[in-house]
Amino acid sequence: MVTYILRRFGAMIITLWLIVTLTFFLMHLAPGSPFNQERNTNAAVQKNLMEHYHLNEPIAFQYLSYLKSLLHFDFGMSITQPGQTVNGLLAQGFPVSFELGMMTLVVAVLSGVILGVLAALKHNGIIDYLAMTLAVIGISVPNFIMATLLIQELAVHWHVLPAATWSSPKHVILPTIALATGPMAIIARLTRSSMLEVLTQDYIRTARAKGLSPYKIVVRHALRNALLPVVTILGTLTAGILTGSFVIEKIFAIPGMGKYFVDSINSRDYFVIMGTTVFYSGFLIIMLFLVDIAYGFLDPRIKLHKKEG
Amino acid sequence: MKKRFNLICTLLLALSLVGCSTTQSSSSGSSDGKTKASSGKKVLHLNNGNEPTSFDPAQGFDAVSWNALNNIMEGLTRLGKDNKAAPAMAESWDVSKDGKTYTFHIRQHAKWTNGDPVTANDFVYAWKRLLDPKTASPAAFLGDPIAGATAYNSGKGSADDVQVIASDAHTLKVTLTDPNPSFLNIITNPCFFPIDEKVAKANPNWFKEAKTFVGNGPFKLTQWVHNSKMVMKKNENYWDADTVKLMEVDWAMVNDSNTEYQMFQSGQLDESSVPADLSDQLFKQGKVKVSSQAGTEFYRFNTKMAPFQNAKIRKAFAMAVDQEQLIKYVIKSQEKPAHAFVSPGIVDTSGKDFRSEGKSYNAFNAKEAKQLLKEGMKEEGYKTLPQVTLTYSTDDTNKKVAEALQQMFKKTLGINVKLANMEWNVFSDEQKKLKLQLSRSSFLADYADPINYLVSFTTDSSMNRTGWSNKQYDQLIAQAQKETDEAQRNADLHQAEDILFDQAPIFTIKFYDQEYLQKDNVKGIVRHPVGYLELKWAQVQ
Repeated sequence: MVTYILRRFGAMIITLWLIVTLTFFLMHLAPGSPFNQERNTNAAVQKNLMEHYHLNEPIAFQYLSYLKSLLHFDFGMSITQPGQTVNGLLAQGFPVSFELGMMTLVVAVLSGVILGVLAALKHNGIIDYLAMTLAVIGISVPNFIMATLLIQELAVHWHVLPAATWSSPKHVILPTIALATGPMAIIARLTRSSMLEVLTQDYIRTARAKGLSPYKIVVRHALRNALLPVVTILGTLTAGILTGSFVIEKIFAIPGMGKYFVDSINSRDYFVIMGTTVFYSGFLIIMLFLVDIAYGFLDPRIKLHKKEG
Repeated sequence: MKKRFNLICTLLLALSLVGCSTTQSSSSGSSDGKTKASSGKKVLHLNNGNEPTSFDPAQGFDAVSWNALNNIMEGLTRLGKDNKAAPAMAESWDVSKDGKTYTFHIRQHAKWTNGDPVTANDFVYAWKRLLDPKTASPAAFLGDPIAGATAYNSGKGSADDVQVIASDAHTLKVTLTDPNPSFLNIITNPCFFPIDEKVAKANPNWFKEAKTFVGNGPFKLTQWVHNSKMVMKKNENYWDADTVKLMEVDWAMVNDSNTEYQMFQSGQLDESSVPADLSDQLFKQGKVKVSSQAGTEFYRFNTKMAPFQNAKIRKAFAMAVDQEQLIKYVIKSQEKPAHAFVSPGIVDTSGKDFRSEGKSYNAFNAKEAKQLLKEGMKEEGYKTLPQVTLTYSTDDTNKKVAEALQQMFKKTLGINVKLANMEWNVFSDEQKKLKLQLSRSSFLADYADPINYLVSFTTDSSMNRTGWSNKQYDQLIAQAQKETDEAQRNADLHQAEDILFDQAPIFTIKFYDQEYLQKDNVKGIVRHPVGYLELKWAQVQ
């Protein structure tokens, strides 16, 4: 187990380094500059700016010094927001994205699993059809359309909830629903199909034969195994949702970190591009790692290390 | 193993609960405050669109910073309701006979929000900081009229040679290189706001948070949740506090025009921009309010690239454009078609509207366009015209206009023009490097003077970007910049505009305006054609 984790950890560092290197050089290859403005500043000012951000140094030197500062978890300064550190931007944005993402995950997983289980248990019944219709709608309606519809109905027509911004628990409801429907639908469909498969397994029949209560059969024996595929996608899903959604955060004016992914590229804010990329990929790599560990706990057939068990 | 799994689950759950509860408690606190403040008091709810780039007067050279900053700080002069510079921090001023030296008398009782007096020194400090090449201010060029400013900013001169001097605590003497009838107007710009030197020296990041921000405007910044909202309250220390009726301004930062409109409909905002898709409908319902904006949309020919080295071919393309049709059927707004470069609403030195005194150029004329194209092609010895590519920065409206232009060139001149679009940053870079043959552009005035528009096309201007150079034009602009005779200055500028359209390094599309929705109980918000949002006289009834 320990050697497995160490080996995985090494692979994670190498993956991250590759991502950092590729992004760094691709970003500098892209035409345009962070100091590009409608009106040009004079040569002396341009020179000062380049020097201030060390962009006048050879690219290899910039790369090495960036790697060095990464070791101290220092992401550098934002160029388009003068005086603002990238660490500061992430520290402001991430908790907000995280809060919204956590709510979304809880809603999506709970409702998705429940829908999927119900659909599988009442296979080819009314509930199954209803649940799967809901799932198809959830997958096919993009979240930005869902968001606009929700605002129009619940905020503009019925005045039940605020349209946008981020200041009270009430403001969290609409973006959570808009963001959760897609993942919920995916989870519901996955749960349903793997539940159907598991329910035909021998050990379920055995459990039934032993006279266990239906509740125990479903929750203890069937669901635990049926959840494996759900856990698999949960890794990427979690990383994606927790680091913020550009579209949903823009529509609901949520001060998360989603916008930096896109804005920083448009404005060539080099350090913010790097910061968001490193942060997101680091997060994703760790989540995937956690998923692999979770397999071991969920499914005794998967062994993380040969010698164990 | 099961125990461990349960433990991890519990830990994860606990973690997420902690995450949720801490952020919720802190945010619900602020929302309570908001509802208390909103009830009974006169609060205006606006949308700033985005987080201000910076409240450092020398840095935030954009509307998202300066629309807000304009209401929490104040310069020597401030634009009045009539769009003219009026006394502000300066109670009065004297101008020397040669029109070059201004002596400003700063109000004795002018105070910063922290109680410090506003002194002439605060202006000297702020202005020299603006011009310091180390500050790297994008707005520093606005200081060019001041003697010694250009040299200092380009790294050739020193701060001591900049002719901004505090004779005493309340007297500021500024000397210009040439007499400049727009100087009082130029210094209403937020980059010329003073800075409390004591505060800035003690904390160089004073402008980053509401707590440390020290202003001197009609309002004071009391809360600033980054990327989320700002709250401004009436500043009782302001010299003209009796005029200010509004108790509070709440700024949201919503960067989606549909959401903004929905918030306006649901009552969360008192104002909104007009979503493009609904523009037609809202105009028909008479809900859209319009005020003018000093700026022009136009296209640049690259005169260094075939076939646009030829003036007749350029003019042929220019005349094939029907601006009226474009606005009516493609852009679908109430904006005015542009038949000149200087937009309406810009007054000349005699106080008359420069546009209504000037001519109308660049009218659609299919016959003449065809004739000019023929002549031009003959001059250049073309049998077929070299391929023309029209480039625009990626945007829905730009695309629609470009496609309509493509059709107009096809219909009138029989020429197939290729279209290309680029992301703004690349587009702007290539346009500056003269790599684009025919490209979209826009100009928004920095100060209300026709010369601000026309100086763009002098040979050395960084705004030229056409490769076009005309000695007579350069001379006329240089003369106008030095001219003390008002009538002569205006004549020079009109003549320069004649040359610009006769030589046609550009063709114009439309004059901009500001279109917005506003609740009926909101009164007195002033939108200057050049300048930033003014809430000093605003009221919520």
